[in-house]
Amino acid sequence: MCHLSPTPARMAREYPLMAAFVSYGEALALGLASGPACIAACGPVLIPSMLTERTGFRHHARYLSAFLAARLVGYMLFAVVAWELGALASMLPAPRLLMMGVVYLMLACVLLWYAYSARRSCAPSCADSKLIQIGENRNRNVAGAAALGLLTGLNLCPPFVVAGIRAAQLGSMAAALVFFLAFFLGTSIWFVPFVGLGCIVRNQAIITVARMAMVLIALYYLLIGIAMLLGKKTYGY
Amino acid sequence: MATDARILPLTRPAPRGILRSLLLTLPIFIWSPLMMGFRPGAKFDPVSTTAAAITALFMTVLFYIMMRTNSTYRWRRIFFVSLGILFPIGFIHNLYVMRGSMGIPIEEMIAGRTPFCFMPIPLLILPAAFTRTVIFPGSIASSSHGIAAMVGLWLALTLVMGKGWCSYACFFGGIEEGVAAIPPRAKIRKLDPRLRYIPWAVLLAMVLLSLALFEPAYCMWLCPFKAVSEYVAARNTVGLVQNVIFILLFAGLVIVLPFLTKKRTQCSWFCPFGAFQSIFNKISIFEMRIDKERCKPCLVCQNACPNLSLSKESVARGETLLSCMKCGACVDACPRQAIVWHIKGTQIAWKPERARLMFLYAAWAMAIMFGGSIIAQGIITILHVFV
Repeated sequence: MCHLSPTPARMAREYPLMAAFVSYGEALALGLASGPACIAACGPVLIPSMLTERTGFRHHARYLSAFLAARLVGYMLFAVVAWELGALASMLPAPRLLMMGVVYLMLACVLLWYAYSARRSCAPSCADSKLIQIGENRNRNVAGAAALGLLTGLNLCPPFVVAGIRAAQLGSMAAALVFFLAFFLGTSIWFVPFVGLGCIVRNQAIITVARMAMVLIALYYLLIGIAMLLGKKTYGY
Repeated sequence: MATDARILPLTRPAPRGILRSLLLTLPIFIWSPLMMGFRPGAKFDPVSTTAAAITALFMTVLFYIMMRTNSTYRWRRIFFVSLGILFPIGFIHNLYVMRGSMGIPIEEMIAGRTPFCFMPIPLLILPAAFTRTVIFPGSIASSSHGIAAMVGLWLALTLVMGKGWCSYACFFGGIEEGVAAIPPRAKIRKLDPRLRYIPWAVLLAMVLLSLALFEPAYCMWLCPFKAVSEYVAARNTVGLVQNVIFILLFAGLVIVLPFLTKKRTQCSWFCPFGAFQSIFNKISIFEMRIDKERCKPCLVCQNACPNLSLSKESVARGETLLSCMKCGACVDACPRQAIVWHIKGTQIAWKPERARLMFLYAAWAMAIMFGGSIIAQGIITILHVFV
């Protein structure tokens, strides 16, 4: 039985190339399979924030790149923690809840800031008037996208936890990092269609709706975050 | 847009003749008892039969008056407010009979015994598309109130009526319309037009959160009507917070604001289902149009509209906003007969009464089908108390 299913550590020792192929292929497959769940988890943050941006594929591609790059950083941080802990499952429920609560609160704060600051920067998408562009804060979108990407990258969604547990079984921290990189690539493919939001023509209505939606989602995260910090159950009343 | 004064009279048309009105009411006269269960071989129960007869008569008489007077809004409102009042009466009574409480516990939800409501329909689409799972905890097809039956009926009707659903079938809107009818005039008149965007924002946020949480987020957190239907059986602090949110939203959007503004504020400023329904106004063949040549923009229609679906700009364009519920308030209020019921693809103001009739037959048939049984249930509950 032991020969039929060798442990990742033993396989890496005896068949290093095959082990790497199986392990990272598995991470990629896991990422691809988990893509819809990742979109579902990131959608409430990503879609409204992208809708507040100006029209254009290039602009949206840059925004999405910043978001995904920061998300990768979040993944890498998580990979280090997962490997250091040995297994995420061993993390006690109380600290896990606390960490999640803090992440949700930070996400809520960033969303609220984003919704507020979007007021000034709809600019070129809202109208052709160059006068409106004066108020635009060009750094806002990259910094905002990066902050949102990092925080959603730290979010403990189910596929992410699975990847964390699997990465913890690998022989070294470097292997865990590469495992998460492959997992990230698998999930990121699903995000590419979001660039298509760039072809939606922006007007005051769309930007206002997106900002209002961000506030609502932020309030939800705020409530959930506070509930988690207080150790309250958020499901199953 | 060739409107012609010869086609549309400037003055309000005289009341229709009694015989002609009766003839036009005949289809509804036949439809009402059929929908109320008066069929050969049906079981006889004195209380249910009395309630069904009262409802059928009520709906038929109202339609007759609409035919006779050529006005719509006032008579539709009588039906709609009755629906809004009688729905909680019948529904809450049923909940107490079945469960002994208005609160729905988690065991009932897991067992799929939650009566289906149309509100979460837009929230079901993305999770169903991604995972082929219906996230509402009700039975899919086991009864006439099953999810499949309700969604199918809603889709068929909404394709024809567009957002007319919100004026003729929604059993929640009647409560606030009733409250809005109480004060003689609005205490708050200046309303920020940007508030019209909120339902779209609620829709966007709730659709995305429903997909992320894999539960109908609106029903869990924001539905004001939980306060008068089945609330969350709070067993922990989060459940308590949810109930407080429901009650505050109900008090604010369904009672206080309609009273102060004389508008359907929950529908205009909050309801995500209403925003979703608005999309179907693009498909529906019925719409309201404004004859620009006849209109002297007095904006009486804008003040009359209970749903803030008219603005200066839209009146200038000769159309209502996408959120129009086709209740007929603007048509009845216009002193110059400039607003008309219209069938897409036809000339504006060409035989508008024909367009109104076609719309009203569809709308009233739907009203009887959905609202009739709810009104009858409410009457049964009242009869049980007094008889």
